Amino acid sequence: MTISARRSTLGIFSRLPIRRIVLIVLGVIITVAAIAGARATLATGQYSGRVWQDLFVQGLARGSVYALIALGYTLVYGILLIINFAHGEVFMAGAFTTLFLAGYLSSSGFMASQPALALLIMLAFSALVSMGVALLLERIAYRPLRGAPRLVPLITAIGASLFLQYTFRGFYGEQVRAYPNIPGLAGDWNILGLSIDRPRVVVIGAAILIWSSLYLFIERTKTGRAMRAVGEDREIASLMGIDVDRIIVVTFAIGGALAGMAGILFILLFNQASFDMGFVPGLKAFTAAVLGGIGSITGAALGGLILGLIEAVGPILFLSGAGIPSVGQLTSVVSFTILVLVLIFLPGGFLGASEEKRA
Amino acid sequence: MRVPQAVRAGLIGGAVVLYLGAVGMLERFSERSIIVGLIRFNVVVMAAAFFVFALFAYRRASGEASTSLGPGITAGTVAGVTTGVVVIILSLLVDAGVDVRSMFLRISPAFFEAVTLGTNPYIGLIILAVMGALMGAAAGGFRRLAPTPRTIVVTVVGTVLLLGLGARLFIPMLQGLGIPTAWLYRSDALTILGAIIVSVLAVVIRLYLRRKGGFRKALVEVPGVTPSNVRPILFVLGAIAVLAAPWIGKQFVADVLGTVGLYILLGLGLNIVVGYAGLLDLGYVAFFAVGAYTVALLTARSSSMVGATIFDLAPEPLTNFWVALPITLIVAVVIGILIGAPVLRLRGDYLAIVTLGFGEIIRVLILSDWLKPIFGGPQGITEVADVPAFGADTNDPRVLYYLIIAFALISLFIAGRLKNSRVGRAWAAMREDEDIAEGMGVSVIKYKLLAFAMGAAVGCLGGAFFPAKLGVANPGSFTLLVSINVLAVVVLGGMGSIPGVIVGSAILVGLPELLREFGEYRLHIYGAILVMIMILKPEGLIPDKRRALELHADEPHESVGPLTAAATPGVQ
Repeated sequence: MTISARRSTLGIFSRLPIRRIVLIVLGVIITVAAIAGARATLATGQYSGRVWQDLFVQGLARGSVYALIALGYTLVYGILLIINFAHGEVFMAGAFTTLFLAGYLSSSGFMASQPALALLIMLAFSALVSMGVALLLERIAYRPLRGAPRLVPLITAIGASLFLQYTFRGFYGEQVRAYPNIPGLAGDWNILGLSIDRPRVVVIGAAILIWSSLYLFIERTKTGRAMRAVGEDREIASLMGIDVDRIIVVTFAIGGALAGMAGILFILLFNQASFDMGFVPGLKAFTAAVLGGIGSITGAALGGLILGLIEAVGPILFLSGAGIPSVGQLTSVVSFTILVLVLIFLPGGFLGASEEKRA
Repeated sequence: MRVPQAVRAGLIGGAVVLYLGAVGMLERFSERSIIVGLIRFNVVVMAAAFFVFALFAYRRASGEASTSLGPGITAGTVAGVTTGVVVIILSLLVDAGVDVRSMFLRISPAFFEAVTLGTNPYIGLIILAVMGALMGAAAGGFRRLAPTPRTIVVTVVGTVLLLGLGARLFIPMLQGLGIPTAWLYRSDALTILGAIIVSVLAVVIRLYLRRKGGFRKALVEVPGVTPSNVRPILFVLGAIAVLAAPWIGKQFVADVLGTVGLYILLGLGLNIVVGYAGLLDLGYVAFFAVGAYTVALLTARSSSMVGATIFDLAPEPLTNFWVALPITLIVAVVIGILIGAPVLRLRGDYLAIVTLGFGEIIRVLILSDWLKPIFGGPQGITEVADVPAFGADTNDPRVLYYLIIAFALISLFIAGRLKNSRVGRAWAAMREDEDIAEGMGVSVIKYKLLAFAMGAAVGCLGGAFFPAKLGVANPGSFTLLVSINVLAVVVLGGMGSIPGVIVGSAILVGLPELLREFGEYRLHIYGAILVMIMILKPEGLIPDKRRALELHADEPHESVGPLTAAATPGVQ
């Protein structure tokens, strides 16, 4: 890309860097608009410090979920260089299927007597289901396409995403279903003088724990090292005696398990499941992965948190001051605009691999 | 332990049939008869599954195994028995009071009825095993058939399925032509006698054509037709068929054909972007929406019209459809360039996601309260004026059908010319290797923008007819699924292939309109088609030659193989 950036001066815009000028003007306009919006919102004094704090924590919790899903995109992209578009559906599969286990745990009274254990069982079960779906996906949809032109696995992934959504719609029906309440998670906890919703504390805590274990796994274990090697150069890794097929399977399995756990955390926040619940979070998580720099594990976490925060705080902070009604509807507009802006101005993301490597 | 290939194929086949049952397809399909009182569609689907997986049993077979019936029968029987045993287990669970349906919604009494063909699970097991064995034997036998009997089998099965499934199209058309249908159809399904008659007819015609060496050669023997004028005659015949179609049969036929035409338009537009230029645009619906809303804003009578709200004009249409159309084109091209310009430096898969994001942004904005004064929010823009055509304002589907066909023909012409022009070659070069194309002097940015603009223009044409047809433009019609539908049309037909777009629309858009039972499973099947096409035949049903070569670039090419080996003797 550094090469092609230099080459772009050979294009039709050879005299003036029109494109760059347009981009800079665009960037300035958006920045000014955002600052003006924020000032106007703050000037109204309509939102108290307590509201902002609430939004902030909400954003962190949502961002943690995005971060965990984003890890799946990043891991697969890092190794196969494909966008596993159906990853959102892997997330949905675990969360939606666990609904029935949760219903059983709840009606048998186990959840009331052992809420923490029940939650752990649900996490494990959801992780297993999602892992199974991810492995099937890899085996059936992606493995036959190794080495095909880029567009081919991407179209396959779109098809697989649609297929999985409607498969689970066929299995479990099309209505949105409520999860049973997990006892002990109602109300607030006092942390550092702030009272915070309990589910949010659990979500953020669990996400930190899961992310750290993944980080240690990738950095410290033999399999983790093999994964990094395959991501670096598949051919040479195989020459070094690494079973590339096995590593790809392991990668999909880990990505799936993370998505499954993210599914349960998502449930803690929103308390319901449906066949199409995975699509939008999947897209947002992809945005997060790109934002942080696709291919980077720390980047996925960072991107997820930032996106979660912007989504929670952004619409109100930037837009409501401008007199726009029902800003909540525009959340997706804010996050996709950010995706576009990041790709234009910072295509490598915050912590992305260097430009040449991704070309 | 190594499971024999045949058993494995059978197990997978059984799993597939059970899957079809668990998502409810078999149950829905059982509502549809192909031949009255004899064959229902669920039976066809199950038999087809057994047949296909029995064929898989031969995949790596060689020598004697590849011609014996053994592997096929084994696979078919295993598939049937697997299905039957699981059904028995399920029925035992249900009898024991386990509430299977609280999880798997479709394991209902109707499911059991559809899978066991209306008997009980135990008899069902026997039926399924026998059916599997028969289909397995048929699969094995089919492989050994000589070409002529093979043609006969394929023709009979194809004719019966086509006429049976297409009943809702053919009945009104035959009636429109004044042909009585009672002998052929009874309540949307073929009669036994009718099926036999049309099968025999089809086989006779097919074999006759085969002996003559094809349709064209047979046509030349008709007096007055010579090899030199056979093409124009075919063209005229085709044109008459296309023009007469909406008048034969009822409004329904015109409606279906109009929708197919609309998707041909959309498909041609996306084909330029995806097929010619190799840019995967997942936000194509944005242009569809832009076309629809611009036309609606300019021609709507309702008060949500721009003029009424912003400029305080009287609530009257600003202009008519024909003035609105060129304005729409310009708006679409400008928006196409605006969306394209910032993201064209991105690599293919990023581009896909960004365009998808843009599509969502446009949809959410249209739907939002913020822009409700202009776009009417979830309600959309109502009271869109009819199209003035042939001296009167009309929204008659037949007239719109002609307009759509006319625009489709213009787009077909433009798309065809573009493909083999300098621009088309530049796109092909860019698609195959961007860096090399740029090195050869192709201005990648310029041609990418051109592709986006062309795609936007054609797509918005499709959108422009939408509110004219329905009288409203509302956001419900502009979801991501439209983008994916169009993508499926292009991919199934073959990326870059113009006839492919027509065939793709006819199959993916026309067929589901005729099979209301499919409605619920339409997207399900689209998803499966996208995956299967990409794995089995990425160049599509009617491949574009150049594109097919690209997609198989890494496979050893027969004529190239020995050459490269000879050229690099050191390697061996």
